[in-house]
Amino acid sequence: MALMPKRVKHRKSQRGRIKGDATRGNRVVFGDFGLQAVEGGWISAATIEAGRIAAQQYLRTEGRLYIRVFPHKPITSIPLETRMGKGKGEPEYWAAVVRPGTVLYEIGGVTEEAARLCFTRLAHKMPVGVRFLKRRPV
Amino acid sequence: MDQTEALNVEARPERGKHKNRRLRNSGRIPATLYGHGKPPVSLAAPADAVDAIVRRGARMVKLTGAVSESAFIRECQWDTWGMRVTHVDFTRISAHERVKVEVSVELRGESPGARAGGTVQHLVHELEVECEAIAIPEKFSVSINHLELDQPITVADLELPDKVAVLTPAETVIVQCTMVAEAAEEEAGEGAEAEPEVIGRKKAEEEEAES
Repeated sequence: MALMPKRVKHRKSQRGRIKGDATRGNRVVFGDFGLQAVEGGWISAATIEAGRIAAQQYLRTEGRLYIRVFPHKPITSIPLETRMGKGKGEPEYWAAVVRPGTVLYEIGGVTEEAARLCFTRLAHKMPVGVRFLKRRPV
Repeated sequence: MDQTEALNVEARPERGKHKNRRLRNSGRIPATLYGHGKPPVSLAAPADAVDAIVRRGARMVKLTGAVSESAFIRECQWDTWGMRVTHVDFTRISAHERVKVEVSVELRGESPGARAGGTVQHLVHELEVECEAIAIPEKFSVSINHLELDQPITVADLELPDKVAVLTPAETVIVQCTMVAEAAEEEAGEGAEAEPEVIGRKKAEEEEAES
């Protein structure tokens, strides 16, 4: 099931802009290896879930996968063949706002080779460019 | 145990982001030295040398050049991509002064619990310790050769070198091996709300219904 907030203050949000690189959430914290976005963008809840399934199918019960992003942003759209005006569209899906440098997923408890293979499969699902990342020295 | 590395530094009279950006482009990084009640000193250090020292896990450096003192690497700033060190904080330190520092925890061996179908979960990657500056452990190597299912290794189980005190609570689990059931695919829409609850809206609607 795709991720979604439980409670929100507002049903709809403005688009906003993605400015600059990630200054938080840009290092591997929970696992041993991470998948880092090299581009900014919106990653929908369905895409995050698709990535999780792709990784989990490879990992099976080995290792542990951590999802580091959450879709907080409601994305609205207006139906097709609708005349202009009549207000903002209805929420269509939820997305995570990703800045370049954000760590999207992490894996722990597997070898580097396995993590690389897993993230290669996962990367095919991502709408932004990604790179493999290791834990930074203390 | 930690080894002391030599690092040649030069004075950095120019400050500010533009000057520091130029400094980084020239292959050096800004650094600062403070502590022991003396005034702070702005320094510039060769980026390659600092990077090598940090990646080797050294914490103590012998500064030469503009200053000649022993220093402890208090903090490193990294770029967004985790590839380059962009700034270093050094603190003045004497060899037998006690410092609080984070030391990484590494696992070695193969767990019998994992062979039995469990998953090894490395929960704590760094431990905060207090020790003498010259005796900072490079890392803690935890053997998981005897890690059975549901028998966690805690901080209390670690074998510590002399004069090293761990500040992380003793009951903190470092590594455990548990059986992870394969996540059953949840049916789409089962118990799922189409939209999340809007804070404040329910109350307003109830008030409207009452009136």
